[in-house]
Amino acid sequence: MTGPVFDVAVIGAGPAGANAAIAAAAQGLRVALLDEQDYAGGQVWRAKSAAILEAPPTVEGRAGDVLRARLAASGVTHLAQARVWDIARRGGAQWQLHVLRAGRSDAIAARALILATGAREFVQPVPGWTLPGVIGLAGATALMKHEQMPPGQRTVVCGTGPLVFYVASEIRRLGGQVAAVVTPNRRADWLAALPQLMRRPALAARGAFWLSELALARVPVLWGHAVSQVTGSAQIDGVGVRALDADWAPQGKQRQITADSLCMGYGLAPQCEAAQMLGVPLRHDAALGGWLPEGTADGATAVDALYLCGDGSGVRGADAAAAQGTLTGLRAAADLGRAAPALQRGALGRFNRAARFGTAMTALSAPRGGLVQLTTDTSVVCRCEGVTRAAIEVELSCGAGSSNAVKSGLRAGMGPCGGKFCQAAIGGLIAAHRGVDESAIAPPTARPPLRPVPVSAAAGSFSYDDLPIPKPAPL
Amino acid sequence: MTYDIAIIGGGIMGCSTALTVAAGGQRAIVLDQGDLGQGASGVNAGTLSLQIKRVKLMPYALKGHEIWERMGAAVGFARTGGYTLAFNAREAELLHDRQTLKAQAGAPIEFVSNNRLRAAEPALTQSVVAASFCAQDGFANAALTGQYFRARLRQAGVAFREGAAVTGIDKTGVFTLATPHGCVRAHRILLAAGAWLKPLAAMLDVDLPVTARVNTVSVTDRLPPLMGSVIGHATGLLTMKQKANGTVLIGGGWQGRGTPQDGRGAVDATTLRPNLALAQYAVPALGDARVLRSWTGFEAHVPDFYPLAGPLPGVEGAFVLGCVRGGYTIGPYIGALMGASVLGQEPEMPLFDPARHFEEETI
Amino acid sequence: MIRLRADHSKRIRRAPLVTFSFDGEQIAGHAGESLLAALMRAGHLRLRNAPNSAGPRGGFCCMGLCQECVVRINGQTVEACRTAVGAGLEVVRV
Repeated sequence: MTGPVFDVAVIGAGPAGANAAIAAAAQGLRVALLDEQDYAGGQVWRAKSAAILEAPPTVEGRAGDVLRARLAASGVTHLAQARVWDIARRGGAQWQLHVLRAGRSDAIAARALILATGAREFVQPVPGWTLPGVIGLAGATALMKHEQMPPGQRTVVCGTGPLVFYVASEIRRLGGQVAAVVTPNRRADWLAALPQLMRRPALAARGAFWLSELALARVPVLWGHAVSQVTGSAQIDGVGVRALDADWAPQGKQRQITADSLCMGYGLAPQCEAAQMLGVPLRHDAALGGWLPEGTADGATAVDALYLCGDGSGVRGADAAAAQGTLTGLRAAADLGRAAPALQRGALGRFNRAARFGTAMTALSAPRGGLVQLTTDTSVVCRCEGVTRAAIEVELSCGAGSSNAVKSGLRAGMGPCGGKFCQAAIGGLIAAHRGVDESAIAPPTARPPLRPVPVSAAAGSFSYDDLPIPKPAPL
Repeated sequence: MTYDIAIIGGGIMGCSTALTVAAGGQRAIVLDQGDLGQGASGVNAGTLSLQIKRVKLMPYALKGHEIWERMGAAVGFARTGGYTLAFNAREAELLHDRQTLKAQAGAPIEFVSNNRLRAAEPALTQSVVAASFCAQDGFANAALTGQYFRARLRQAGVAFREGAAVTGIDKTGVFTLATPHGCVRAHRILLAAGAWLKPLAAMLDVDLPVTARVNTVSVTDRLPPLMGSVIGHATGLLTMKQKANGTVLIGGGWQGRGTPQDGRGAVDATTLRPNLALAQYAVPALGDARVLRSWTGFEAHVPDFYPLAGPLPGVEGAFVLGCVRGGYTIGPYIGALMGASVLGQEPEMPLFDPARHFEEETI
Repeated sequence: MIRLRADHSKRIRRAPLVTFSFDGEQIAGHAGESLLAALMRAGHLRLRNAPNSAGPRGGFCCMGLCQECVVRINGQTVEACRTAVGAGLEVVRV
């Protein structure tokens, strides 16, 4: 079954992907932009749901609206509500994308493929973190941008980097109460980042605003702390917090805070499954979010006609993603014969400037070694399959030494989420057990489908007579 | 330290041979390029079905089933019984001819009526034209192979090294195997590297006509009970089983892409889709299930599709074991036979001379 | 109390409420918002129980990845965070 053939297909309509599509289309190419959501914007510039008829504007909302308007004017074929579940190289010259839309699977072909799959968050498992009412920190931003509602009435916000203050501020803006802000970072970490912050005065001012707002509202900010436990039976009713030492290992007594909601997250990690599946080598860089697929600044990879841009190739933030998207769209266009060197130089400059700031924020957000001690023996590590740290440690002491081995033996990472929310933590446990750095523990093999796909959609219309009659098996 | 035997390939066959050899008092070491049991042994669909075994291998398969039953819960063994289905007249004829021969070879296979099939498996499509049943069929959990043999080897005091690809073999007196972690020396060696046997044998200038099929397996999310037995198809194009945790494994030998030298194979969506379509055809309720993961595994064979099991042609002190059709079922038994041979005993059943002419049926 | 950051919740206008059912219970939600949001607002944080007695679960990542918020509509398993509220929708727990 064949569909339309594009010059460029872009997967992911966030700042990187949408800009890549726009830039390539501006060079006269036929471009398809595929994304799971109804509207472009990704997570950081996520559009409001159709239920929001009117709402006060926000910085991210405006940025997203500008992007969506540019996209609408661009001539890019935007395929919304499209879930790419497999990608293959067909006939040497084309990428074939298998896309789930409206309950059917169709194939889309393109000469060049740009992956702009963004990032997901990392959460260090603690006892009770799977209780209803606990959501990710980045998840909270996605929820609030889309639904314009706070995640609960009285929320504890826990995490690293600027996101924790942004989320607290947004919860208050949307009418919620913040019971406490809990962050492993110390004020000293932020002071050390001041030189980078001062390169972006507007962003620094926002941060200062968030902190002042919280101080004025007398919201407790627990610097150098982390949530060590979530309590409740059918859902969250409170959290325990502990102070952390310089390496972020918990120390001292646990204090309780009552809350009906917790937003928690310790930095973002690139979503690199598609790139990994297509043969792009991975490398580990804690300052860019952990394992990431190798690519150049303008998005080229070791795989012919395959490009990467945005947080999915290293977490550098929205502005760097937007610039790198443009840069990569231009690079893909150049490789297809439509070079625009002046534009490419401009985009590269913007990317480099934005990346310096973005990577500083990522480094601030990255977990330190001691954080793993928050994951007690009884903490569930693989959420989907309920595999605890204790079970993983037993498997490791029986000789399992790799992500694949732990996965096979325990089903850890074999559930519906495909390891997205446990593999980094499991890698950390394997590394700690073997006394090696996390970078020595490769992620497990990436497999299709990239998202769960209903059998009926994948099967498509099927006539029994179309079944090939194989040579009879040897008797 | 020079081992009595170094076994290259830590799958079911290599590990089973190692355990037999160790029990007979010899010092063995198992080397695997990756984790134990992550080749075909660890990624196949886990089917243990006499109905898909070759007629002449049936006695081996029957013994294999006994061993799997003894391995039991540690490998997720379940004897569920199995049905093979035919959906049209051509398939029914194929089914009848083949299953009759397999029954004559010793497998307890019977043909069943539509009523009996419907009573046993109500979720199956109404379109079944003929069906056979074998009460001894079932499945195990291939993903547990590595964990299982790691524990067995440790318990038996057999040395093993993972992440130890053999990059060169020198034979002067003893065998010296080069690995990333240093050299391993042994008086004898067994090549049990499955889909990687050809390049491995080439290190000793032996040309083994081994090729590999790239079989696709898929797994769904957890579902309410839809089938209690292993389901097969007269042409072999479909295997299905539902595990205790509710997930359904779908196989059938649909071909992905890639070769063992490239590393892992890749699923091909253009073959995956008809595989899933056939599964939905057989059990319509599967339409609402979600596929969570698909993968491929390499299944090695030689031109006559019978095993390689015996001395490596032209190399004194070297043996080869692999390319068994139905290797998951037969593996533990043929590994034990190989081990007996290494110990100098007469194996209970004949082995399969790797030096034979592959054009003829010499078995 | 002086607020630097105003409370904008009253300045948000939403689409009219419609009713859908969740395990037979009638729930009100704004047409077009996610099922997850409507269920959260109605106090339904627990959407399912994890296998292996691993406890009650609800929305977690809020972006269609973690599969913790799955519910069943017309026999199909779908993420509540990616499914829009519509009048008359019949949603059941998986």
